[in-house]
Amino acid sequence: MIVAALDAQTLVDATGLGAVYALMAVGIGLVFGVLRLINFAYGQLVMVGAYTLAFTATWPVAGSIAACFVVVVALSMVMERAVFRPLRGESQAVMLVTTFALAFVLQAAALLVDIRDDTIGEIATSIASFNQPVTLGSLEIRKITIASVAVAAVALALLAVLLTRTTIGLHMRAAATDFGTARLLGVNANRVIGLAVFLSGILAAAVAVILTVQNPFVGPDFALRETIVVLVGVVVGGIDRLWTATLGGFAIGFATGVINGVLPTEKSVYLPSAVFALVILVLLLRPGGLFAWGRQTAVDRM
Amino acid sequence: MRGKRKWGVALTLLAGVTAVAALAASMGGSATAGIQGPIVIGWAYDAKGQMAPFDNPALATARIRVRELNAKGGVNGRKVRLDTCDTQNNNPARAKSCARQLLGQGAQIIFTTCDVDFATPVVQEAINRGKLAISTCIGTDQMGPKRFGASKGRLAFSFGNVAQDEGSAMAEYAIRRGWRTAGTATNTLLVYFKNVIQAFEKRYQQLGGRIVARESYQTGANNVQLAVTKLHAKSAKVYVTSTAFGELPAFVSGFRTLGNQTPILNSWAGDGTYWVTQSPKVTNYYAVTYASVFGDDPNAKINRLGKQVKAATGGFVQGIGTIDGIVVAIKRAGGSTNGAVLSRTLENFKKVQTTNGKVSFSRNLHSVFGRQYRVIKVHNNKGTRVGFVTAKVVPKI
Repeated sequence: MIVAALDAQTLVDATGLGAVYALMAVGIGLVFGVLRLINFAYGQLVMVGAYTLAFTATWPVAGSIAACFVVVVALSMVMERAVFRPLRGESQAVMLVTTFALAFVLQAAALLVDIRDDTIGEIATSIASFNQPVTLGSLEIRKITIASVAVAAVALALLAVLLTRTTIGLHMRAAATDFGTARLLGVNANRVIGLAVFLSGILAAAVAVILTVQNPFVGPDFALRETIVVLVGVVVGGIDRLWTATLGGFAIGFATGVINGVLPTEKSVYLPSAVFALVILVLLLRPGGLFAWGRQTAVDRM
Repeated sequence: MRGKRKWGVALTLLAGVTAVAALAASMGGSATAGIQGPIVIGWAYDAKGQMAPFDNPALATARIRVRELNAKGGVNGRKVRLDTCDTQNNNPARAKSCARQLLGQGAQIIFTTCDVDFATPVVQEAINRGKLAISTCIGTDQMGPKRFGASKGRLAFSFGNVAQDEGSAMAEYAIRRGWRTAGTATNTLLVYFKNVIQAFEKRYQQLGGRIVARESYQTGANNVQLAVTKLHAKSAKVYVTSTAFGELPAFVSGFRTLGNQTPILNSWAGDGTYWVTQSPKVTNYYAVTYASVFGDDPNAKINRLGKQVKAATGGFVQGIGTIDGIVVAIKRAGGSTNGAVLSRTLENFKKVQTTNGKVSFSRNLHSVFGRQYRVIKVHNNKGTRVGFVTAKVVPKI
């Protein structure tokens, strides 16, 4: 019965969801790599990007998307400069709680802005045509699913090139391995962290564009649940390395899509329980991370 | 010795008076209690949070009704006073203190917000003090004995339509339109959403309709498109859901971008056009609601009010309708605002006329059933009233 339910359509949709979660995981993993900071406010960056798309919905599509990228990247940089940098060197608990507080502040601010017209929620319609399907036999694959996978693949490839073929990439990897030693060897901390936060912002903006195609209604809790799931995926995959974190993000998105397709309709309310039961099982069996093969390093678990 | 006897008599009298007072309190007071001075209604509402789009327009129309009543001399010669307190996005602690504050200011009846979970702290404060707790638009059967207990729960009522009634009315409408096969999609987030679909399916099949596909999704779970794709694969005359929030535009645009123009039928949750997408435009979409916000309601007063309060959904009329209902109850109770007395009176409401239709309650069902719904159609993003529907039965689910 399960095999029958697991049809090609489900696998395609699950892959699309996994790709979006992988993009979010890269954004979270980049910042964690250099700051040792799990940024719970990452979802709010996506939310702000989605609101930007909504508030610029009457602009030409390219302008609206450009505005989304500018606003999200700017906010990301401001967060780093105004909040994370002054707290650099503080304990992880302090930084973690700070990102929580930041998330709540941004969400409350969004609510206040949104409610001005006495309704909650705005409609973002940037590239709605991407929600149309491409038909392949019995499969109907929405263009945004294909785009999500393509964007994730290209972003990861570019990132791989940046990290392995450039000096700044080398600095980032050195900082991710041992920030203190890297600084002693001349790595410019502000530059490395700034680049990581910048790239993280770019990815958040891309996620905002992708998510609003299928979910055009933007509210203050936009992308909140996705962020929590991705954070869990990042830890499950192995948070201490970027690629394991990314695979963790993809895996939890893919698993969510597959379980959702397999569960009978009347049991779909158990989707989060099933996903998180799987998470617990993985953590029990592989506490170092699902994809952290052969690594013996201490792993930060939040 | 005489002194001791005197003290003994005094203590006996005091004990007797105390016992009588306690007995009176436990009986919930008499029917004539609280018939002096102004009638004070305390409303713990959400001014700027997520329930604000429901609470603010309802409060605005309630205020208008109170002004009208007072201009005509009040209710049984008593002025009506409406005190308010902002629950600040339904923060439970704040909501509770709001209820206490309003009761401390002399509120005899407490109004609360439109979601039973958010309303609970306020309801409990009110009913624990023997006061009537009223919501203008909670849409489940939980606002009453079912959630708050067979005794104190009798003090909780909602003037919103119970989901079973709404789902039943939607089924009647679908059959009337000749939509004899349906695909349903349940948003599992709220009991209200689920109950609407359960009632729809039950009544629809009683009327000869056939459910050809059942899917579900959940707000925030990113799975609405999967439900849409699966429903799209099954041919049906109508797709039925009960949802609001982000999933509503995603659900509708999901079908339309697939080139599927089958009618979509939603509950009051999907009223209004504040959620429509510019691309693709919303077409062939229907919802049942309390009142039309598109200026074409058959009741001219409702049209004026809707314009005045800039309502987004027909729920705005619930403020004025609820005040209407409470006024009838107080008059029938001989002017009493005692909770137990008003509760008994409300339980006996059978098709009581209010601005927004006829209201009925029963001993077990403290949310409205049997009221006439307006059917709204949104086509090319423009909303119009296209008919009425009333549930003939409230199916047991």
